[in-house]
Amino acid sequence: MTDSQWPVFEVFHQQARGEPHIYVGSVHATDPEMALILAKEQYARRQACVNIWVVPIEAITASRYEDDDIFERGTDKSYRESWGYVTPKTTQQSDQKKENA
Amino acid sequence: MPTFETLIELNEIERDAAIDLLTRLGDDDLIMGHRNSEWTGLAPILEEDIAFSSMAQDEMGHAQAYYQMIHELSGDDPDTLAFGRGPRAYRCSSFVSLPNERDWGFCVLRQFLYDMAETVRLTALEHSSLVPLAQLARKLRGEEKYHLMHGRSWVLRLGNSTDDAHQRLQAALYKAYPHALGLFEPTSADVTLAQAGICPREEDLMRQWESAVVPVLGDAGLEIPEDVQPVNGGRVGRQPEALKELLENMQVVYNIDPSAKW
Repeated sequence: MTDSQWPVFEVFHQQARGEPHIYVGSVHATDPEMALILAKEQYARRQACVNIWVVPIEAITASRYEDDDIFERGTDKSYRESWGYVTPKTTQQSDQKKENA
Repeated sequence: MPTFETLIELNEIERDAAIDLLTRLGDDDLIMGHRNSEWTGLAPILEEDIAFSSMAQDEMGHAQAYYQMIHELSGDDPDTLAFGRGPRAYRCSSFVSLPNERDWGFCVLRQFLYDMAETVRLTALEHSSLVPLAQLARKLRGEEKYHLMHGRSWVLRLGNSTDDAHQRLQAALYKAYPHALGLFEPTSADVTLAQAGICPREEDLMRQWESAVVPVLGDAGLEIPEDVQPVNGGRVGRQPEALKELLENMQVVYNIDPSAKW
């Protein structure tokens, strides 16, 4: 369905200085300044917020879901994940605690 | 100038003057909030509907804060102040009673003119000798700053938009301006409040307001009405029919059973 309303801006909010901006949704607005004004009430009136970004949706280039197989792993790459590493010492300690309990 | 750290430090004349001021502020905010809430579900787009409704709630919250302060001065119950009075007991300006008539341009213009008046007054009240009022003014600063950003943005966009939008906004300005000046109708408390350092004279606030709104209206390409006579009377309870109709609507649930506990 085509969108007959004002242009769409994607909205990112930041809950505290130094935290990352997180995507929260979108607003329709005539221009960036109006998008900020409307985004404030849509996405920052109930929770902590110190900063908002608005980005015209056209500025975003997205990958295609048809191509989502590019994210699949052909071989075991668990070594790239932190959970891919076994931490036997910690495990042994917690096992020990259970036995002593 | 001495300061009043608590409300009980006011003498009787100052206390009555403070109640006069707080009643005007509370009633303006309550009725403005109610008027703006009439857009809930009707505003031009969903995002604006939510923003305008949220700001209307802000204004009602500010009214509650002023009524609470009146309660501490006089013992009057905040709910009764909001819902238990007839039109002649209200001290709001006729500006906030004017019906919306589904005119979005008029309503965002009024929101801008109103919130500039609040900004001017609250900025002055941040230095009020009445410390609890100064603290409240500082607490409301952020919400008022946002309201002003919102109203200003709309006025600039509609004023510089199509001929139709521009003409409607210009007509709205001619209609609104005399009533907006009525926000600064001086009352019998005017001199007492200024001498006690509680709130500046209304004519001083009006001058500050005019010098703040005129440049924005100019940037919106609007002609500023000249030689305008303020529409006064609201501050002494001479209220338009529109307020009576608004209150009949706003108080309908309360009046079914004023003693009901919620």
